[in-house]
Amino acid sequence: MVDLTLEIRKTAKELLEKGEAKVVLGWEKGNFPYSTTPVFIDKPEDTERLIWDEYCINNLALYMLDYKHLDGKVGIFVKGCDSRGINRLVQDKQLDREKVILIGLSCPGMKDEKKAKELGPNADIPMAQKCQDCRYPDPVVYDVFLGEKQNKKVPEKIDTSDVEEMETKSPDEKYRFFTTNYEKCLRCYACRNVCPACNCKECIFDQTATGWLAKANNVSNNMFFALTRAMHVGGRCIECGECERVCSVNIPIMLLNKKIIKDINFLFGDYDAGLETEERLPLGGYDYTDPEEFM
Amino acid sequence: MLVVLKAKLKDILNTLAEEYKVLVPAKIEDTSKFISYKDNVDIILDENVKLSPKDVFFPQTEKMYKMKTVKTSMELENITDEAGKKLLFGVRSCDMKSLDCFDQVFLTKGYIDEFYKNKRDSVVTIALSCSQPMQTCFCSAMGVDSQKAVGADVQAYDLGDKIGLEAISDEGSKVIELIKGQLTEEGAEVPQPGEFYLKVDADGVSEKLNGMFESPIWDDVSKKCLNCGACTYVCPTCHCFDISQEVRGENVTKYRCWDSCMFGEYTQMAGGHNPRPTKKERVRNRFMHKLNYFPDRYNMLLCTGCGRCINVCPVNLDITSVIKQIKEAE
Ligand code: SF4
Ligand code: SF4
Ligand code: SF4
Ligand code: SF4
Ligand code: SF4
Repeated sequence: MVDLTLEIRKTAKELLEKGEAKVVLGWEKGNFPYSTTPVFIDKPEDTERLIWDEYCINNLALYMLDYKHLDGKVGIFVKGCDSRGINRLVQDKQLDREKVILIGLSCPGMKDEKKAKELGPNADIPMAQKCQDCRYPDPVVYDVFLGEKQNKKVPEKIDTSDVEEMETKSPDEKYRFFTTNYEKCLRCYACRNVCPACNCKECIFDQTATGWLAKANNVSNNMFFALTRAMHVGGRCIECGECERVCSVNIPIMLLNKKIIKDINFLFGDYDAGLETEERLPLGGYDYTDPEEFM
Repeated sequence: MLVVLKAKLKDILNTLAEEYKVLVPAKIEDTSKFISYKDNVDIILDENVKLSPKDVFFPQTEKMYKMKTVKTSMELENITDEAGKKLLFGVRSCDMKSLDCFDQVFLTKGYIDEFYKNKRDSVVTIALSCSQPMQTCFCSAMGVDSQKAVGADVQAYDLGDKIGLEAISDEGSKVIELIKGQLTEEGAEVPQPGEFYLKVDADGVSEKLNGMFESPIWDDVSKKCLNCGACTYVCPTCHCFDISQEVRGENVTKYRCWDSCMFGEYTQMAGGHNPRPTKKERVRNRFMHKLNYFPDRYNMLLCTGCGRCINVCPVNLDITSVIKQIKEAE
């Protein structure tokens, strides 16, 4: 990854020097061996800050929302999940594909930052959950590609064994599981704010005057938040796992997302969001063959 | 110093539980926080809790009073806290310091917040020293002594397989009196803290910020921030709240709940104007409040170096880096 770091810096430098990009988004080292942090480079000399290591986990795609109105192009480094995030924004009409220069990187799977904190400096750090579940480590869209592709054979279908296990539980058990989890939710909205599919200009949860969701933190409000959030990204969630990764209290958020993905696959045919930008979204249009038992 | 074996800690807590509602730092549901002591709770002594004890004094959602409309008038009903004394065992120095900050906000300058005061008055604290700081700890840089807490009733010391106890206040002496029979006198010394991994020099940062409201660093610092509320909700010193109500027919319950200056809605005006329209103004406010406005008003920093914000931030926006950046700025 050291060689690639040098290439990353070189590519970013060229883009800025030639004026092809006004700013380049990548990762720089944080204060700990196990941390990196997003960085926004606009001067060629600052490209030395860029790095590529096994902790470059943040999905950078959502930052493109901040550059929607920039006069000029943005260069952005994309792993598999980041590239699907870019497609998400393009398909949701939040981003003009022409405005970004995607520099693809094949992702070896990033390490688990939380585990690294717990286990200490000399431990063998496991791969992050979101990377263990990832089926598209190579970017699905890019303009330039650095390094080599893995062409890793992706499992045909998303692994929903955890969802299936939950489905076998009794309603009481399920209720207990979700209430104990959402009792601890802080409603910090980190899961929402990190999500490339959560790109509404004004979020329903911020419109407190409407009374849709009260600010009071209790399990019923928290579950209303959680379910609404999951439904709003239904059919658009790119499975990047960022929401679960950033949860301040370790709520297994992906379980809900995956349940919806599993149901969509069953009802409307297999669908992986963020692989392309032209096809109609499974929940974004009506088709004569759609099941409608409820009508 | 009076000491007890860590293995016998629960005996002491059992004795104290007869007198107080005891709260202990414990692992629960894949996180950790102060919870009611029971024999089977998973007490943690080797690191600080992930969620600070601030909710004991300042709950995330706190019912304030009730109202009921009766024909053309309105009846008000107070909501009282549960009676009885609480005892918080194992509060680290950083979190004790945050209570000092809370006291300034809620009890000084001629204004007393009764909701806070009632809770504060009903809690006795046993602070616990830290033998090894966690990687994200930087309390010493913020003027907090990890071995001796401010405002504790009893100071406990981590002595390896034992815990040393020292009464500080009268209330603390009463606590020691209750458990005296279970403690032994030993010639133990106040331990030395381990080495801190995170290093930052915060000297002069408050003064430096005086002329920096319009500094270009805020653009730079804030770019990666997502404006979630994670850092402020886990922070033991953040104390902003919003007041709202639940209306059910004729019955209204007024409550207050945590709010965060990281949210856009926090400064949203009724007419639609927002004086802090972007992440730049919000992030600037967070750090200015912690490092400049608060020291200006109360003569102390509003950061105790507990490192929680660093731990939860989805994008690793690190307050120690921000302090460095402020100090290096021209
Ligand atoms: S819901 Fe979670 S997994 Fe899905 S796109 Fe958003 S952050 Fe990624
Ligand atoms: S990140 Fe976790 S704690 Fe925060 S709002 Fe989302 S589910 Fe709740
Ligand atoms: S700002 Fe961060 S380090 Fe400082 S007291 Fe708050 S959570 Fe702890
Ligand atoms: S910040 Fe200091 S007092 Fe707080 S837990 Fe860490 S070492 Fe202990
Ligand atoms: S936790 Fe990090 S991203 Fe979220 S508001 Fe705080 S500094 Fe910004």
